[in-house]
Amino acid sequence: MPSLQIDTVVKSYDSFTAIKGVSFTAEPGEFIVMVGPSGCGKSTLLRSIAGLETITSGAIRIDGRDITHAEPSDRGVAMVFQNYALYPHMTVAENMGFALKMAGRPKTEIAAAVAKAAKILRIEEHLHKTPKQLSGGQKQRVAIGRAITRAPDVFLFDEPLSNLDAALRSQMRVELGRLHAELKATMVYVTHDQTEAMTMATRIVVMNAGLIEQVGSPLDLYNRPRNRFVAGFLGSPRMNFIKGRIVAAGGRTVTIMAEGLTMPIQLQIEPDADVPAVGDVVTLGLRAETFGTGAPGQIAVPARVAVVESLGRETLIYADAGNLRTFDSESQDGYLAAHRSSQVMLRPGDPLTLSIDPAAFYLFDRNGETLRFPPVSS
Amino acid sequence: MTSRYRLVSIGLHLVMSVWTLFVLAPLCLMFVAAFKSQADIFTRPLGLPRTLSFAAFERAWGIGIGGFLFNSVVVTALSVTLIVVVSALAAYVLARASSRRMQALYLLIVAGFAVPVQSVLVPLYQLVSAAGLLNSQIAIVIPYAAYGIPFTTMLFYAFFLEFPRELEEAARLDGCSRFQVFWRIVLPLSGPVVASAAIFQAVFNWNEFILALMLLTETRVRTLPVGIYGLIGQYSADWPALMAGLAIATVPLLIVFVAAQRHFVRSMSGLGK
Amino acid sequence: MTDVTQQGPLSPRGRRDMLSGAMLLPALALVSLFILAPAVYAIVGSFFEFTITSRNWVFVGFGNYVRAAGDPVFWTALRNNAFLIVGSAITQVGLGTILAAILDRGVRRGNAIYRTIIFMPVVVSSIAVAFVWILILDPNVGPLNAIVKSLGMRPPKLGWLGDPQISLWMLLVIAAWQNVGFQMILVLAGLQSIPKELYEAAALDGAKGLRAFRYITLPGIRNVLIVGTLITVVGGLKVFDLVFVTTGGGPANATQVLGTYSYLQAFRLGNMGYANAMSVVLLAIAVLFGWLQLRLSRKA
Repeated sequence: MPSLQIDTVVKSYDSFTAIKGVSFTAEPGEFIVMVGPSGCGKSTLLRSIAGLETITSGAIRIDGRDITHAEPSDRGVAMVFQNYALYPHMTVAENMGFALKMAGRPKTEIAAAVAKAAKILRIEEHLHKTPKQLSGGQKQRVAIGRAITRAPDVFLFDEPLSNLDAALRSQMRVELGRLHAELKATMVYVTHDQTEAMTMATRIVVMNAGLIEQVGSPLDLYNRPRNRFVAGFLGSPRMNFIKGRIVAAGGRTVTIMAEGLTMPIQLQIEPDADVPAVGDVVTLGLRAETFGTGAPGQIAVPARVAVVESLGRETLIYADAGNLRTFDSESQDGYLAAHRSSQVMLRPGDPLTLSIDPAAFYLFDRNGETLRFPPVSS
Repeated sequence: MTSRYRLVSIGLHLVMSVWTLFVLAPLCLMFVAAFKSQADIFTRPLGLPRTLSFAAFERAWGIGIGGFLFNSVVVTALSVTLIVVVSALAAYVLARASSRRMQALYLLIVAGFAVPVQSVLVPLYQLVSAAGLLNSQIAIVIPYAAYGIPFTTMLFYAFFLEFPRELEEAARLDGCSRFQVFWRIVLPLSGPVVASAAIFQAVFNWNEFILALMLLTETRVRTLPVGIYGLIGQYSADWPALMAGLAIATVPLLIVFVAAQRHFVRSMSGLGK
Repeated sequence: MTDVTQQGPLSPRGRRDMLSGAMLLPALALVSLFILAPAVYAIVGSFFEFTITSRNWVFVGFGNYVRAAGDPVFWTALRNNAFLIVGSAITQVGLGTILAAILDRGVRRGNAIYRTIIFMPVVVSSIAVAFVWILILDPNVGPLNAIVKSLGMRPPKLGWLGDPQISLWMLLVIAAWQNVGFQMILVLAGLQSIPKELYEAAALDGAKGLRAFRYITLPGIRNVLIVGTLITVVGGLKVFDLVFVTTGGGPANATQVLGTYSYLQAFRLGNMGYANAMSVVLLAIAVLFGWLQLRLSRKA
């Protein structure tokens, strides 16, 4: 169970830099998930680890061994590709044993390794089929089996579930988790799907524009995002962001007037953050599930239902609260997203009172750095 | 409405049938004349042969068609093999390269497509005769190969560009060298385009006339088209034998065409891109 | 920008470049040696006068081109090429398109049979085509004369290929007989690559019949038509086998084309330099059309 060390890796193309100096270490047996919007460099980084891209500077080490310039097959990595990349002219068994065959291992050893991997993935009955005869989920298992057969130091996954339908995807998530527990291998997994990141990772690496925004455990990132980007990227629906301005500051306590709210809000700044000055523009953050039910001390905001999304047991309400609007959401309408863990009989146009618990606010400074997290309720 | 539709449909069938018969008639004439006697040719130009006689085929064979056939098979097989192998190697390297220098090399090869062989006859003759390779079947294979490479490289290049890169990357991770990726992964999956290219070039080289006319001046080394052409002076009155010889040259191609029609269509639709 | 993998001649990158070079070399060598170098050599040779056997090249400057400009047979050849080019483009592309359109939408039954038979002449060698048509058009034993006579008409006195007024038209007919199938399959492939949904969407937008043809079909096969036309044009420019065997350029050089006339000058009369000059004219026109093809098909 080796570690994987990424050391100030830079990858430049002719006219643009995809990775701008990235470092992190995957400890032995860790399941690292790299997430970020498309074009953030996560796939390039994964391909650089695999040796499919040549990095411009920096170093990649597995268990302390520098593999920066090694051939892909000499690195001790195996990769599971987005489109499976199974060889169509070989059977499942041949696909899975190909790497060992290229390494010149004896036939019996290859057969044993293939059989073992097939057993782990429960694909024994498909070994003599060709990829064309398999369903999407089966192909994905074979692709994973091919990686397992090699017994690599590090497993690499490049959005492996994005071609599967929703039901199969959640099933494969569980299965990959089981596989990780069983193999206890070091894994690096790239996805743009935050559900996959939250459910499978021991640690998540959030990337944006060629840089790492934050590294941490899923709940740590969810509860204590370092900045507005991470706060907005993790969590569905997206965190509501409200513009505000510092009107008073005393000690580590600041008073904020939020756009669309008449009542000032007082918040404590985190001990390690710089206290903003009076007049600074800040952003308040509010997760959808923190809208309360009207308990004392909460701010009541009159609103109107704009869109209702019934998810069965739960309901998402997009509410039009006048001047109290979220900005930088993907839709430009500024509706606040509120989450109810119950079925709600509301229709668009219905009046609605939103209750905001001031303690639930995140606070970000003008540069998006986090000034305050809400306390974690357990 | 339906009766008008029927009328249109019959009209369209009529157009197709007329051209089909027009195409078929000369081909039939070739075979019919090959079975006629010399007397029949003169006395009954539109009639069918009175007896099914292979005499014309025997005469044709007797004056050397067999040798031409053998030469044609050798020259076609060698040149097509050379074209496919050389073009596939080059096209793969070029399709996987991104540098401007390599793109320039691709254009250089493709530029050969624009040069008609008729425009370089004199220099080609000088080149081949200076190398002492006139009247050698092996020697004509090389210019044939050269003139087949630009189009075949274009065909392979387009195919390799569409080839899924992930498969090649998986193979590299599995320990394949660059050449092994090509040999073990890409080539086994290129069957259709190889077949298309091979059949296209086989037809072309089997029928090639002008280079063979210029470079193969001795009867013993000639291929079918130029061999048959060379016999005309001596046997000009023997229409049945001439048609029998042409039938021998044509039938293999018609069989190949009917058996592998879809491969023709594939390489032709490549032209339209 | 420094590349971290460049570490001398034995680095992986270096080995990869060597392998690429080795895989590329045969194609480059063959094309350069047998196509590109001869093309350059033809241009150079067109400024000299020499014969097949002589090693003695006499520089004549533009003499060979001046000679061509004053040679009526050269102009006849050029005119005949132009006639065959324009005639072939109209007959072959036109008929090919009509037949393809009928196959695509008009007829269901017999589709494969029509397609197979009409394409057949494409694979037949032009030598066989030429001889079969010589037999068909023969004044003594040819079936065409027999048919014309049986219809009570009089066949041309000098023969179909012997009368310079008629023989060029006959060449056009033979070329169409051989090549319409090629154009038909080309256009058919283009027609079949147009997604059916486009016609359905156009029908919902109110475009049917001729308007669907104008706005969906024509743009869809535009590229194929350009390629087909240019293939025909270059074919008409390069024509050699058919003319060489059927008329040999005669009677009295009336059906001479650039290909046959430069062959005659080079290998029958020994005027290699003059033949080169005519070849260069042919090459220039071919390269022009090749460039045109590249430009036009890229645009779409």
